[in-house]
Amino acid sequence: MNAEMEKPRLKKKQNKGFDVEFKDRTPFWQRFRARFLTFTFLKKALWAVFRYVLLIGISYVILYPFIAKVAGSFMSKEDFLDVTVRLIPRYPTLDTYKAIITENKYFLALWNTFVLSFLCAVVQMITTMIIGYGFAKFKFKGNTFLFYCVIFTMVVPHQALRLALFQKFRYFDIYGIIQLLTGKTINLINTYWPLAILSFGGLAFKNGLYIFLMRQFFRGVPDELEEAAYVDGSGVFKTFVRIIIPLSMPMMATVFLFAFSWQWTDNFYSTMFFTRTGGYLMPQILTIPSSLDVAGFQASEVYSSAIMNTEALLIILPLLIVYVFGQKFLVQGIERSGIVG
Amino acid sequence: MNQAVKTKPARLPKRRSGKVASLDRKKARAGWWFILPFLLVFFLVYIPIIFDSINFSFHTIYLLSGGGYELDPVGWANYYDALFTDAHFVVTLTGGIQQLLLEVPAIVVFSLFMAVLLNQKMVGRTVFRAIFFIPVILSTGLIDSIDLNNAFTEYSQGSVDSGNAIQGSDSLMSVMDLQNLFAGMKVGHELLEYVVNIVNNVYGIVNRSGVQMLIFLAGLQSISPAIYESCTIDGATAWETFWKITFPMISPMILVNAIYTVIDSFTASSNQVMTYVSSVYENEGGDVLATAMYWIYFTIVILIIAAVAGLLSAYVFYQRRD
Repeated sequence: MNAEMEKPRLKKKQNKGFDVEFKDRTPFWQRFRARFLTFTFLKKALWAVFRYVLLIGISYVILYPFIAKVAGSFMSKEDFLDVTVRLIPRYPTLDTYKAIITENKYFLALWNTFVLSFLCAVVQMITTMIIGYGFAKFKFKGNTFLFYCVIFTMVVPHQALRLALFQKFRYFDIYGIIQLLTGKTINLINTYWPLAILSFGGLAFKNGLYIFLMRQFFRGVPDELEEAAYVDGSGVFKTFVRIIIPLSMPMMATVFLFAFSWQWTDNFYSTMFFTRTGGYLMPQILTIPSSLDVAGFQASEVYSSAIMNTEALLIILPLLIVYVFGQKFLVQGIERSGIVG
Repeated sequence: MNQAVKTKPARLPKRRSGKVASLDRKKARAGWWFILPFLLVFFLVYIPIIFDSINFSFHTIYLLSGGGYELDPVGWANYYDALFTDAHFVVTLTGGIQQLLLEVPAIVVFSLFMAVLLNQKMVGRTVFRAIFFIPVILSTGLIDSIDLNNAFTEYSQGSVDSGNAIQGSDSLMSVMDLQNLFAGMKVGHELLEYVVNIVNNVYGIVNRSGVQMLIFLAGLQSISPAIYESCTIDGATAWETFWKITFPMISPMILVNAIYTVIDSFTASSNQVMTYVSSVYENEGGDVLATAMYWIYFTIVILIIAAVAGLLSAYVFYQRRD
């Protein structure tokens, strides 16, 4: 014990030349000065403060719309007339939720959208993985050219193909073969087929990006791994199923998360392929419920906007749950993909 | 003729090496099986769709009452209408492209900066990461279109009520403050407007830089810590380390992100050109005209992407890994 008490005294004498007469430790003020009043510490502290201010500020910018949506969803009509009410409702009510859920058939849309998004995400995850693996690991003729085709599908705005896409699936035909055989074309609008066909080929919404991510991921997987499997007598496909698929779980989770949530909030394909009479999906609940009668209301613009925001909140609520569980895969999967060039 | 004879012997060695490459060739054949789904749908469905879309833009389309449609060739009339008859298209187009060019650097720089921040060790990093990637998942499609002109969020921030002409009341900084600041610094008016635009649009920029942040984070993680260690030993400051190590190592990602940002923001439905053209699409007989507009826009953006890629790839640094 005693020897330990001696040590700091000696050290201080050497370094700073303090006149150490006392028996116990250096006084608080001197310790404080040596530790906190240095330039390095000041710099560090300033940086930390700056960092947190920035991060918290931007987090606020990101979260604010959601906070506002939540606040607005509980407001009653009177709150919109009250000038003092901004975020915290004075007369909280659940009427908006009730009206949306009952009149806009929220649960029907929820179920339909869930089925559609889940199926699309699963199919897209599997096909983009297979395609990405094909592009990453096999050197056949035209590999590069076909990969440029994938990039091309990413760059073409799908809005530009809107008319052609609709006509294609309204009068579905493959180079006139179907018409030749049966005498007429097939109407695929209001079925799952258009999205199924596009997903199957890895050509649906943003699938080019998924193929790109998968390809980058598989390029990072060392060839020796597969060679070892080949030496042990496993074929290409068996190797893929037994070795590669278990390896690529985080990446698959990332792509699934992307595909699921982007399909969920999509309002391009789902409104084009499912006209109002068909599948009842999320975009269709974005109407003002009639029981809330907005029309003659004084602050009708803000009120109807708040109702729309509540609907948005209801749309993203299930996604939020998915995000909470899937968020760690997002960073992990992308981190492991090692995207370079 | 002579050349044709000359090329023949060049092919032969390839065939002779067939024995060595037999496993490779077997593998190459398997590669076709893997990309088969893409090939099938791409050539059977997607190429005809692209072709149709281009074809439609040179026609007028009539829907027949008995089902089916009829095309009436009109040559370049749709393109002529889009460029010279339509009063708003060219103005919107130039404005949109100008905005695109201004926003791309802002998004790339912002996402790089945030990725560097989020990569540092600190308390609450996972929470901040989770918050920063919320827009990737949630602010797309439907939600994006609702947030585009959201009367309620503006109301709750108090800007509707104040009703005065100063636009800065709902932004982080007042325009007047910035104006004073920049007037003192004697820099151009254009720069001022650029900064004011970005500050006013900070939500849009934060919202659209999620994927870019992810890509940068992945890049930052892939830099070996040993390099940083040796830098610290040699006495480099954090500033020097960033510019001499992090920046060159991450430059391929800057290229990827710049291109991704261009693609992403020009296909986004919140884009003003896209909004305008889809409003044209809804008009009577506007569908072919809109398709022509989309293709004009697409051509210009492809040129921009090529220019960006060409410009940046001159400065990209690739680490040799063997």
